[in-house]
Amino acid sequence: MVNGLPGVTALLPALLLAATGLALLLVDTIRPDARSNTSMAIVGAVGSLAALAATVWLTATGVGSADAGAVYLFSDAVKVDTLGLFFTAIFASVTALVLVAGHDYFDDGVNPAAFYSLVTFAATGMALLAVANSLAVVFVALEMVSLPSYVLVAYLKQNRGSVEAGLKYFLVGALSSAIFLFGISLVYAATGSLILADIASASIEGLTGVLGVGIVMMIGGVAFKTASVPFHFWAPEAYEGAPAPVSAFLSSASKAAGFVVAFRVFTEAFPLEMAVSANVDWMLAFAILAAVTMTLGNFAAAVQEEVKRMLAYSSIGHAGYALIGVAALTVDGPANGTVMGAAMAHLLVYGFMNTGAFLFVAMAERWGVGRTFADYAGLWRRAPVASVAMAVFMFSLAGLPPFAGFFSKYFLFQAAIDNGFVWLAGLGAINSVVSLYYYSRVVKALFLDDPASPTALDAVDVRPTALYAAVVFAAVATVLLLPGFGPVIETAEAAASALF
Amino acid sequence: MTAVASSIPPTWYLLLASAVFCIGLFGVLTRRNVLYFLMSVELMMNAANINFVAFALYYGDLTGQVFALFVIALAAAEVAIGIGIILVLYRNFGTTDVTVPAEMRW
Repeated sequence: MVNGLPGVTALLPALLLAATGLALLLVDTIRPDARSNTSMAIVGAVGSLAALAATVWLTATGVGSADAGAVYLFSDAVKVDTLGLFFTAIFASVTALVLVAGHDYFDDGVNPAAFYSLVTFAATGMALLAVANSLAVVFVALEMVSLPSYVLVAYLKQNRGSVEAGLKYFLVGALSSAIFLFGISLVYAATGSLILADIASASIEGLTGVLGVGIVMMIGGVAFKTASVPFHFWAPEAYEGAPAPVSAFLSSASKAAGFVVAFRVFTEAFPLEMAVSANVDWMLAFAILAAVTMTLGNFAAAVQEEVKRMLAYSSIGHAGYALIGVAALTVDGPANGTVMGAAMAHLLVYGFMNTGAFLFVAMAERWGVGRTFADYAGLWRRAPVASVAMAVFMFSLAGLPPFAGFFSKYFLFQAAIDNGFVWLAGLGAINSVVSLYYYSRVVKALFLDDPASPTALDAVDVRPTALYAAVVFAAVATVLLLPGFGPVIETAEAAASALF
Repeated sequence: MTAVASSIPPTWYLLLASAVFCIGLFGVLTRRNVLYFLMSVELMMNAANINFVAFALYYGDLTGQVFALFVIALAAAEVAIGIGIILVLYRNFGTTDVTVPAEMRW
């Protein structure tokens, strides 16, 4: 460990997030009757930014890098490496954006104390998930993410849409976590261990079938968390019904949390050679899921009339792109580390642009201008800065050249081709073209269309400062990731290569 | 391993756990009342617990038994959240039937 600090320092990001959650509860305890909205937003934002700073500091000092070796804690149940720190950076950034945005979203609503602490506790679970090295920790951390998320989706408890969304999210979530757990129990039955490296080295005597069923069931759990086919049904409902900052949190951070499970667990516990020799080819399963998910997500998004629902389906489509990171792997493939690293970089860029897009929807909900494309017509006349930011998000999500989303997609498809998955890259490119259609519909509505009536834009009368700040910050990050993409992709590829 | 436990081959535990899991899954797919849904999910999680405990004994390894305790705690937390959501569901829709809330199209 660097500078002679104890090994537990490597868990600093997760500890800081947990302490932030507790501090938020403390603020609420001191003044339970006051609406300490601003102080909570400040405490939450400072805490999550501190976690982000700690993550960057740990990465910069080389903790868990391939040279220094990963930091193992708690009898190998936790393994802090660059992969975990990279994902923790995504979680902490999205959490900070969502907490700041929450300040204005709930302005005249209910006491938002629970919102801030639940988001922070879910982020703690994600930070723990990113460094989990045992299936037991994976499951506990996954539940730590899921349980606050169910409540957050149903947060507007007087709102029928929010409650319905929370119910559907809970039903699919409880079912898929039970399936995931049963998968873990079958893997344990076949290998006798829950530590990832020990599962990989265990000798399986005649229980290959049990292991195979276990792996398939675990894929189901991952598919739920990442909102991929066949467990994607909850996503459009939950994202549409939930408060928009919660949709942003779920579709960016929670989705990335699902991918960290896929990236780490499957490559470390079920190495490629073993998967092929034991005839449990999970790479093929992920390839099929990736193809179906991106196609379904993008084509369903193209026929939506509501912007939030369109973003929900587009988020399913992006899960399909990121799944290429675990699908386009082959035994001794030349670009295994590159393709997974590119998927990680895509998730980072996606974290900013997708959060920003949902936060713009949050602003529209705050104004009460309506939910459909037509309701957004001419918004730039009243909100030029936010509209320009939204255009940046849309073009970046579509993957147009001058934005960060283009580079992450380009690297991803290129690496997939290098590894011999031309069909997957080609399908991704076709889907990107489809996505350009519905993303540009938003930009067209914002800038080119005339408002339905002269009074249609009178709703835009408040200036939610914190929401504006979060949206503008996300847009700046999306643009700044363009010159800064080199270090990001290098870190991601180094982190992913350490897994093979 | 005790004499009784070692006299039962591990396959039988797997069969028992799979049977309990399938009963739970059947309940999830057929029942329309959310409370039955919660009970069915509980069955599915406890099926996993049977596996954990049985194979902890089989391998002479405590990991599985300890994890089963974790799972019991998590299942209780999940039910607590679930009951809360069912409560707001009932207040808003006046029912615990999962097919009734369909304001958003699929």
